[in-house]
Amino acid sequence: MASGIDPAATAVAPQAADARREPSPRQGTDRGTDRGTGTAAGRLRKLASGASPAALALYALALGAGLGLASADWATRGGYPFGGVTVGAWTAWPRAGSTAADPYTRAVNARRGEVPLAVGEGLLLTAAVDDAGRALDATCTYRIAGVTPPARAWTLTVAGRGAPEPGRQPVREGFTATEILREADGRFAILLGPEVEPGNWLPSPRASGPIRLALRLYDTPVAASAGTLDRDAVPAITRTGCAS
Amino acid sequence: MRLVNLRVIYATACGLALAGIVHVATVLAIPALSETDALTRARSSESLEHPQRVYTLATHGEAAPAEAWLPIPDPSVAVGVCAYDLDDGPMRVSARTGAMMLSLAVHGRKGAFYAVTDQAAVRGALDLVVLTRAQYDAALASDDENEPSRDVRIVAPSDQGFVVVRVIAALPSQRQAANDAVQAVSCTTDSPDEPDPDPAPASASPASPPPASPSPTSPPPAGRAKPNG
Repeated sequence: MASGIDPAATAVAPQAADARREPSPRQGTDRGTDRGTGTAAGRLRKLASGASPAALALYALALGAGLGLASADWATRGGYPFGGVTVGAWTAWPRAGSTAADPYTRAVNARRGEVPLAVGEGLLLTAAVDDAGRALDATCTYRIAGVTPPARAWTLTVAGRGAPEPGRQPVREGFTATEILREADGRFAILLGPEVEPGNWLPSPRASGPIRLALRLYDTPVAASAGTLDRDAVPAITRTGCAS
Repeated sequence: MRLVNLRVIYATACGLALAGIVHVATVLAIPALSETDALTRARSSESLEHPQRVYTLATHGEAAPAEAWLPIPDPSVAVGVCAYDLDDGPMRVSARTGAMMLSLAVHGRKGAFYAVTDQAAVRGALDLVVLTRAQYDAALASDDENEPSRDVRIVAPSDQGFVVVRVIAALPSQRQAANDAVQAVSCTTDSPDEPDPDPAPASASPASPPPASPSPTSPPPAGRAKPNG
């Protein structure tokens, strides 16, 4: 049974790959037509008056295929388009790994080869901005302080967007709940920046450019009710200074 | 002139409507057609008895290898996957729990439908059996009431999927142990000897009411007889 399904899937797949590659040329022709409307309406009118119904049908088909494929590609590239829960500067997608995930999330996961955390397994919170809403930058120093939601274990990691820089061996990519140095009341403060800091220092993963924080809570009751998380229950991210 | 414009507008409207249909169809088709998704990549591990390494932690001697295909992996969590195909029989995942936190998540075609951590382990062992509804019924029927099975049985919504094993290394010194712990999990297909004896007792059970019978064949008839009676 399985051997019957697999060849079919592989036979269909190349077509899909072709279809996905198609948007660029077709999009190009669409753009050409759009530019015609913008600059010379008369030229288009002349073109349209000479156009046969077949040409118009072809135009409609090309527009539909090009625009449809291009928009699908755009919507499923990068992060999840919707379903996020925002808590302070952090965003979680609690349903990303479940069977209740929306089709866009499933498509994004499939394209990236992502294996998201299941609801019973944990919760991933990411932050690309600080509490004031400014994008996290590798040249700045940040203080990530406070408490984490209840969890058996957590890790807080930092990553630059895109491929890692070759030849730059990170001293440390993140902290786990066990490693971190805490204050007497159980709270902690991590200093993220390019220069060496006392305490929990998390070096910037790259010399410049945007960076992103990921807080992963493992075996947490929060995963089932991420919407009820309070702003005080997640670490606050404050910018303390910038090199440039 | 006006008529021509109307025709162009009509064609554009048709094109936009078509674009919407194409967009929805493409988004829905991507998970099934993708060649880079986790299910397709995990497929190659189906014949293995232990998880395929997805993300191996960097240890003192060596860096994290390039085989990792997770886009943003956690640098302190070792990940492995076991693919299953329930047409070959139920899939049994056995893990021994240790000092490190371990979690198993079962993913079907549509996403994860079950997850369990080492806290659910009985006497340090976690046995997870993924099966279809028919296999579940068969297993239930062949259960011995005096010796209840300690397996955690999960009915899978689809025949194909994979089990993700995650082991968290809380300290860098535990990373090698975490890598080993992922490899120590065993993923075996329960050979068809469980479904196979089923047809025989099914035909025999109405004819042989006495529950006490020779030991190797006794559990299936006993199980069959009890729910009927």
